[in-house]
Amino acid sequence: MDKPSLSTRKLARKLLAASQTEAHTNIPQVVLVSERLRVALTRFAGADGFTSLLRRAMVLASAEVPALRVVRVSTTGRLEGLEDVAFQPDIGMDAAVAITAQVLELLITFIGEPFTMRLVRDAWPNESLDGPLSRIEDD
Amino acid sequence: MSIKAGDQGQVRPRNRVKIRQLPTGVPGLDEILGGGLPEYSFNIIAGAPGCGKTTLAHQIMFANATPERPAIYFTVLGEPAIKMLRYQQQYSFFDDARLNGAIRFINLSQVVLDNDLGAVLDTIIKEVESSNASIVIVDSFRTVVRKAQGSSSEVELQGFIQRLALHLTSWQATTFLIGEYVEGELRDNPVFTVADGLIWLYQSIERNSIVRKMQIMKLRGQESVSGLHTFRITDNGLQTFPRTFGLAPEARRVRGTRRLSTGVVGLDAMLGGGIPEGDSLILAGPSGAGKSLIGSHFIAEGLRKGEPAILAMFEELPAEYVQRAATLGFDFQTPQKEGKLSLIYLRPLDLSVDETVYEIINMVKKIGCKRLVIDSLVGFELALAPGFRTDFRESLYRMIAALTRMGVTIITTVEVVEDFTSMNLSNFTVSFLADDIIRLRYVSINGQLRKMLLVVKMRRSPHSIDMCEYEITSKGVVMGTPLRGYQALTSGIPGPWSPQSDGAPGLLPPHNSPRALPSATSTKLRTPKGGTSKVRTSNARAPVKRRNG
Repeated sequence: MDKPSLSTRKLARKLLAASQTEAHTNIPQVVLVSERLRVALTRFAGADGFTSLLRRAMVLASAEVPALRVVRVSTTGRLEGLEDVAFQPDIGMDAAVAITAQVLELLITFIGEPFTMRLVRDAWPNESLDGPLSRIEDD
Repeated sequence: MSIKAGDQGQVRPRNRVKIRQLPTGVPGLDEILGGGLPEYSFNIIAGAPGCGKTTLAHQIMFANATPERPAIYFTVLGEPAIKMLRYQQQYSFFDDARLNGAIRFINLSQVVLDNDLGAVLDTIIKEVESSNASIVIVDSFRTVVRKAQGSSSEVELQGFIQRLALHLTSWQATTFLIGEYVEGELRDNPVFTVADGLIWLYQSIERNSIVRKMQIMKLRGQESVSGLHTFRITDNGLQTFPRTFGLAPEARRVRGTRRLSTGVVGLDAMLGGGIPEGDSLILAGPSGAGKSLIGSHFIAEGLRKGEPAILAMFEELPAEYVQRAATLGFDFQTPQKEGKLSLIYLRPLDLSVDETVYEIINMVKKIGCKRLVIDSLVGFELALAPGFRTDFRESLYRMIAALTRMGVTIITTVEVVEDFTSMNLSNFTVSFLADDIIRLRYVSINGQLRKMLLVVKMRRSPHSIDMCEYEITSKGVVMGTPLRGYQALTSGIPGPWSPQSDGAPGLLPPHNSPRALPSATSTKLRTPKGGTSKVRTSNARAPVKRRNG
C-alpha cells in the first residue's frame, strides 16, 4: 500500500486545523476528525464499514508513527488510548495527520476521489473544500 | 386522448390521467417497457445474484436524479456500499458530478439489524421526506424481508410493504426494491402483489456461454413488450435488445418496384432483371463455390450506384475480406472511409440474434444502407451462444423481417454440404425466410469439376429456369451459358440427355465440348406461378460457338 499522497496529507492537515477551532481542548483533534468522518461514513457505509476502514488505517498509520500501536479501534468505530500519543508535542501532530490521511487515502482507493470529497464536504460544510483534492491548500 | 363510446352510442373523449414515463438510461429498455418507467410506480427488480440488478438500478438512478429531485440509494446487508460504489463507478454512466447532491447513498443495515419493520419504514420515510427524493432504491429489499420474517407475522410484513408503497408513491417517488428471488416465490408473496412493476433478470450458463435475458413480468398502466429479451452488460452498463426491435408497425415500408443489379453480368437476367428491392435472397452452395464473391459483387455494384451497404461477416476478418476483395478489383476501403460501407464483424461466441439485429439496424439507419450481405448463416449460428441456437430460425425470421421492412435488400450466404446424390438448399431449413433462392452447385462433367448456378425461387417475379455454368476468374464471377445436353444435373453427376428421358427429342452428350462460356443467349424464365417466358440476357463477352445444348 502506498503512503498517502501529498494532497491527501494537505487535506488531513486542513481538517485537523478546522477541528482545532472547535471548543474541545481536552479531546485530540484527530478524534474530532475521526468522529465527523464516522458519522458521514456510517450513514453511507454502515457502522461496520467505517470501523473496518479505521482499523486498517490505524495499522497503516502505525507503520508511519510506531507510537500509535497502542491505540485501539472500538467496535463502534471510536479511537481508544489515543490521548497519550496525541498530546505528545513531538509526535502528536504527525500521528493525527497519519491517521486522518490514511483514512482518506483508503476511501480514495476504494470509492474514488470525487465521492470521498463529497463525503468530506458533507462532514465539513463550513470549510472551503471545493474543487479536486489537488487544489487543497494548507491553512 | 382516446375516444370511448358513450351510453347513446356517441363517442366522447376520455380525460384519463397521464402517466409520465421516466427514461431508464438503458438502451432498448424503454422500448421494452412501452415507453419508459411509469412515474411514481413501485417496482421490483428481481433475479439471481450476479445477473445485473444493482447495475440496472444504478443506471435508472443516474438517468433521473437531479439536485432538485435527488435519488436515494438505501443499502441493506447486501453488497457493502463501499464495494458497490467502487465497482459501479467503472461504468460509463456513473457521473461523478451527480454525487454532489443528486445521488445519496444511505446504509440501513444497522436499522434493519437492531429494529423492527416499523423503524425501518420510519427511517426510509424520514430520509425521503427530508431529501424530496424522486427515485428511491432499496438494495437488497430481500434482506429486509428475510430479517422481518424471523420476527414478524405475514400480515405485519404485508402491512409494512403496503405502507412503504403508499408513502413513497404519496411522496411522488418512483421506487425500486431489489431482491434475489427465484420464480417459485412469485406466488403468495405480498411484495409481488403490491408492486406495480416487476422486472426479472435471468442469467444462465449454457455450455461455455453466458446468456442473459430480461422479462417484464408485470407492469401496471401501460403495455410492455412481452417475452424474454436478451441483454448484455458492458462497460456502459446494461444494454437490452428488444426481441421486437425493428418490427414496430410504423417501420413497415411498401416495397419498391426497383431491381437491384447483382453486379454479375448475366445473373441479373436470370433473376428477371435483378433482385427486387427489399427482397431477402439466400445464396446457397458448397464451400468455394463463390457465395461470398457474389456478395462482394452485389456490394460493389451498390456502391458504384451510390447505394450504401453493410457486410455482416461471421467468418472472415474485415481486413482479410477487404484485402481479398481488392485482388478482384473491388475497392472496399474508400467507401468505408466515406461512411458508405460498413463491415460489421460479429464473432463473440455468445452473441444473440437480437443483438445482431440491433447492431445491423443501427448501422442501417446510420449510413442509409440499401444493400446488406450476411456472410454466412453457418458462421452466424456458430457465433451464437448455445442457448440462442435453439431459437435460431425464429430469431432469424424476425431479423430478416425487420431489415426488409426498412427497405434493405439482403443477400444471405448459406453453406451446404455437397453430396452427389441430392441437392439440398441448405442445412438450416431456413429457405422459408427467403423471397429468392439461388443455388450454386459443383457438377462433374467430363472429368472436370465445374460450377453451376440456378435460380430456385423468386417470390414475386419471373426468373430463369436454366442451370447455367459459371467460373470464378481474376475479375470475379463470370456467368456462362445454360448447361444443355445433360440430365440429372442437380445430382452433380449428370449423364447425357437421351430421347428416352422424357420422350422429348434428345440432345447429344457434350463429350469433348469446349466450356460453354458466355455468349449472348436467351434464357427461359419461370414465372412465380409456374409459367415460362423468355428474356434475352446481356453479356459483354464475345459469342462462342456452342456445339451442344
